[in-house]
Amino acid sequence: MHEFSVATSVYQACREAVAGQPPGRIDRVRLRVGELSAVEPELIVFAWQAVTADTPDEGSTLEVDWCPATQECPRCGQVKQRLDRGWLPLCPDCGEVLKVTGGMDLEVVELTYETDDGGEGR
Amino acid sequence: MKKVVTVRRQALAANDEQAATLRTRFAAAGALAVNLISSPGSGKTALLEATIRALGGRARCSVVEGDVATERDADRIRALGVPARQILTGGACHLDARQVARALDEDPALLPVDLLFVENVGNLICPTSYDLGEDFKVVVLSVTEGDDKPFKYPAIFSRAEVAVISKVDLLPHVPFDVGAVRREIGTLNPSGRVLLTSARTGEGLEAWCDLLLSELARKRGTPRRP
Repeated sequence: MHEFSVATSVYQACREAVAGQPPGRIDRVRLRVGELSAVEPELIVFAWQAVTADTPDEGSTLEVDWCPATQECPRCGQVKQRLDRGWLPLCPDCGEVLKVTGGMDLEVVELTYETDDGGEGR
Repeated sequence: MKKVVTVRRQALAANDEQAATLRTRFAAAGALAVNLISSPGSGKTALLEATIRALGGRARCSVVEGDVATERDADRIRALGVPARQILTGGACHLDARQVARALDEDPALLPVDLLFVENVGNLICPTSYDLGEDFKVVVLSVTEGDDKPFKYPAIFSRAEVAVISKVDLLPHVPFDVGAVRREIGTLNPSGRVLLTSARTGEGLEAWCDLLLSELARKRGTPRRP
């Protein structure tokens, strides 16, 4: 369970991203999580709540964009349909060894920030 | 008012920056850094002991040990006359780059060397995400753990450049299909290398040492003759 450490780092990155903004709170954060990132989506959401508790950003939402890895056949050049998070050993069409691509993502994409000055804006 | 702020930053950016500093440090010292990852009890420390013995005087080594508690692993390495620093994580399941940097700061015997090994906390999941500035990751899988592990723990097997199958002296006693493991690793990481070792009998250690020395020579720009 290292999601708490990851959530701490995500929170640090988010706060750095709004460092130049007027005072306010983070409302929601979008995080890309790849299937091969070794991060579990439910745990990272839970860890986010713990990390932001007792901060100005308590109650904010961490949204996970789940990014599955894909398996491609180097011979057919096509992405093959996988079975529910399982791995295909060989290409079902031509028997070639498949290549795994993607799924390594662990990136803070964007966040929604609510400034304290109310609904007026500038 | 609400506004959308683009962040576009790696979730572990702070660790990645520290890891980049470590990478520079290892390069400046001319050391090859290897990050060993496995479940507890796969024989990482035994592999290191056997590696140090097998290398003899061919390379100067040092080891950074990660464990939740005790100095046991570092004591085993120091008993062989090799500098070792134990990082105690106090419950945390992985090492991060900051901890490794601190170990290097506190123990000047760790660098410069030829080979610096980081033995991560025993865990097949959490250490996967943390770059420690290493040249490559090595996943160790003992034959007693079972041959179904690569597909069950795809994150580490897809990232580790080298997979060491350890305790192969026990192969006659356990159902473990080496071919199946090779195929699963081949699927997750087509360029990954698979080595079979036994720290007890010494099987495979020469190939493993050769890989380390070749990678060291390559890093230093003085490739060894085959």
